[in-house]
Amino acid sequence: MATRAVEVAVGVPALAPERPVTWPKRTRARLSNGLEVILAEAHSIPKFHGELFFRSGNAAVVHRAPGLAEMTAIVARTGTARRLSRQIEEDLRRTGADLSSSAGADTSEISFSGLSEFAEPLLGLVNELAREASFPQAEFERERRQKLEEVKMQRTEPDFLASERLRKVLFGAHPYAQVAPSEAQVAAYKREDLQAVYREFYTPENALLLLVGDFDSSEMLKTAENVFRKWTGKKPEVPAAAAPANPRGRRVHLVYVPGAVQTQILAGCHAISRKHPDWVKLGLTNSLYGGAFNSRLVMNIREDKGYTYSPRSGVNALRQHGYFSVSAAVRNEVVAASLTEIFYEMDKLRSLPVPEAELADAQNYLSGVFSIGLATQNGLLSQLSVVALNELPDDYLETYRQRVRGLTPQDVLATARKYLDSANMQIVVVGDRAQIGSQAALFGELEVYDAQGKRLE
Amino acid sequence: MKRLQIGIESTKLANGLDVVVAPDATAPVVTVAVYYKIGFRLEPQGRSGFAHLFEHMMFQGSANAPKMQHIKLVNSSGGMLNGSTSYDVTNYYEAVPSNALERVLWLEADRMRALKVDDENLKNQRDVVKEEVRVNVMNQPYGGFPWLDMPPVAFRNWANAHNFYGDFADLDAADLADVQGFFKTYYVPNNAVLLILGDMKPEEGIALAKKHFGDIPAGAPPPFADPTEPEQTEERRGTVEEKFGTLPAIAVGYVLPKRRTADWCAMALLDQALHGGRAGRIHRELVQEKQIAVEAGGGIDDLFGYNGPSQMTTRIIHKPEYSSQAALEAFEAVIREVQQNGVSADELEQLKVKWRSDYYATLEGGRGGYMPKYGLMHLLACFTLFDHDPQLVNTILDGFLAVTREEILTVAKRYLRNEKRAIVFRTPVKTSAPSDKKEAA
Repeated sequence: MATRAVEVAVGVPALAPERPVTWPKRTRARLSNGLEVILAEAHSIPKFHGELFFRSGNAAVVHRAPGLAEMTAIVARTGTARRLSRQIEEDLRRTGADLSSSAGADTSEISFSGLSEFAEPLLGLVNELAREASFPQAEFERERRQKLEEVKMQRTEPDFLASERLRKVLFGAHPYAQVAPSEAQVAAYKREDLQAVYREFYTPENALLLLVGDFDSSEMLKTAENVFRKWTGKKPEVPAAAAPANPRGRRVHLVYVPGAVQTQILAGCHAISRKHPDWVKLGLTNSLYGGAFNSRLVMNIREDKGYTYSPRSGVNALRQHGYFSVSAAVRNEVVAASLTEIFYEMDKLRSLPVPEAELADAQNYLSGVFSIGLATQNGLLSQLSVVALNELPDDYLETYRQRVRGLTPQDVLATARKYLDSANMQIVVVGDRAQIGSQAALFGELEVYDAQGKRLE
Repeated sequence: MKRLQIGIESTKLANGLDVVVAPDATAPVVTVAVYYKIGFRLEPQGRSGFAHLFEHMMFQGSANAPKMQHIKLVNSSGGMLNGSTSYDVTNYYEAVPSNALERVLWLEADRMRALKVDDENLKNQRDVVKEEVRVNVMNQPYGGFPWLDMPPVAFRNWANAHNFYGDFADLDAADLADVQGFFKTYYVPNNAVLLILGDMKPEEGIALAKKHFGDIPAGAPPPFADPTEPEQTEERRGTVEEKFGTLPAIAVGYVLPKRRTADWCAMALLDQALHGGRAGRIHRELVQEKQIAVEAGGGIDDLFGYNGPSQMTTRIIHKPEYSSQAALEAFEAVIREVQQNGVSADELEQLKVKWRSDYYATLEGGRGGYMPKYGLMHLLACFTLFDHDPQLVNTILDGFLAVTREEILTVAKRYLRNEKRAIVFRTPVKTSAPSDKKEAA
């Protein structure tokens, strides 16, 4: 709520007629070993970007140990049957390439980019990492030790502590509750556990190869067939997951960081996954609420009140469940004031239809920004990966803007009522208990934890 | 070897504004930016952090577009916008569907013409900036390390040595007169360059630039303080307390050769040899081989984007069982090795391929990953403001690809000397209990 009248600009040039947005043709194929491949040409620079996704991540093996898929991905790039770690790194440099391997809750992936002239050797290395990683004992020990320091370090970062706590609260017994391992869990990782995950996850039938860049698709497809054809393996079993928690009523979860000079606020509630028919509606609603610079929340608590630098809301899409969240790092004195505005804007969006002009602005924003993804190889790759991993319709990119533009104030109102679940928001605050505890307690029953996750009260 | 050639046209308007256009119809998107040749290095003394605070004020209202309108008009046109302040430039940029080109040019021209802000706007953004400093520096483990910790240790000239984010007392002392004075002095067309990149015809871009910016009066040539450093003749050391993290950290910075010299090109490749990711010697030795460090990297930040004294800075976070001395010695062993033996022919070849590949990636995307052509925009702006030659974007690569092994050996000996370096120790208040102290082999 702006406390002073918003003035309008005078003499603004009108927009010119919109130019057509043409998404590049995608070539879909399945290699002889079952590997699904999607290619798109983008000739902006003489490079290409790729992702080799595996449709299994940390969630699928959380019962063995949290973060096990991530650790597997990290160690997988440190040696193969043919190349030692140092050789891998030098060969990457020799082809002008960057490569990283990681795992999230739902997928594991090898991401890479390099000069088009060296596409074949780079794909050859990716194939080796996917098929013949050797998990050298010394590399495993070193990476485990690194990870141990990393998980210690995370516990000093306010945004990590906030998201870790929120995920625990929202997901309970479901694997999505575990975003990171504890020190003891990392210490207990075994090389054989990583190799087992690798054998199960890293198979062509469980994989998806996406390539975007400066190449000829039919040539690139031949190269891919040539490079990957000897790799074999089946889809892994998908373990059943427990139902997520369903926290009712607002509660406040304070993570106590002595001496914090600012408070990290993160509040969230269950929402939907990408495949849900309401996804586009929720995207637009989020954009109006706090998903854009020009959103209500940013204008309120940043541009009007100056409580925070970087307030934002977002819809976090995991494969099985999604959640809506809103975050802001605010000065300690205004924790209650910020939460008040966070809920004020949420409740307002749940109560009153959005004015047509404001809706049109948000629709233009979302559809414009969506097409900006076209302009870079990486941007296009990430759009294609969202479509492919979530099994969205083939024309998703082509029809998205039209779908956004077709929504009405009533759609937004209904969506806000359904998913911006103000009454059941779980509030996490990370900061100094002495300075913020009483402010936070105004918003619900208070639970206090230390940075290690131990309940204090 | 496929070389990337960017088509560029440029002109200078009668009021001194440089205009650079680079057409590309790949996507119906255009990136627009205005760069002003003033950054935090040369902000007024007693007003640390002011250049950045001022950057925030440029979003608070201009002659015909009051507060919130810049953001609203760009977002509602389907675009993104931001600004950033660095050593020697401040930029304002937008990526929008190309049908919004004229609107964005109008907005940028409007705030070059006149800033219309009041005390309430200033107080608001002062608060926002303080939260920015808290979230990025004061409430973060290793916040500001080493970019804020290093300058006061390494440099003697206030321009290079002060707190660029600003002491809160200085931020509080800044008033509207400072804002308008700074605007009048530095935000003149003859101290700026306008860039239009992407989906437009060059003649259209230049015509629109003239239409909207042509009548903004030139200002007096801005006075610039002298950022020259006295010759460094001894190693400099400093210590900063780490409040949250439990691992000790070290940063080592060496003064860089002068911009656009042969030494500078050789130093950039040497930087790649030392800091080029996991293949870089520092990561390989400290993290992978000796396993002293948890993190070791860094290097030259924004090679093309500075126009005054700068450093190549290594950042090391090491395990608590090693002393700072042991970690530093392991680092020094890497430096000695390259000073004695340089790089092999094979390594140099790898470095050049990687450098070329990275350069192309920078042009396409660059620092602000989500902003198309951010890197191209940044380089064109810096080459125009510092070197008066935007075409350098197509030719500058030659100098790096021509570097020889001998030149790398020479710069390693000439610049990586103890008396040319500064070291910052970031020392944790709380340490995690080390199992046993080890000295590096």
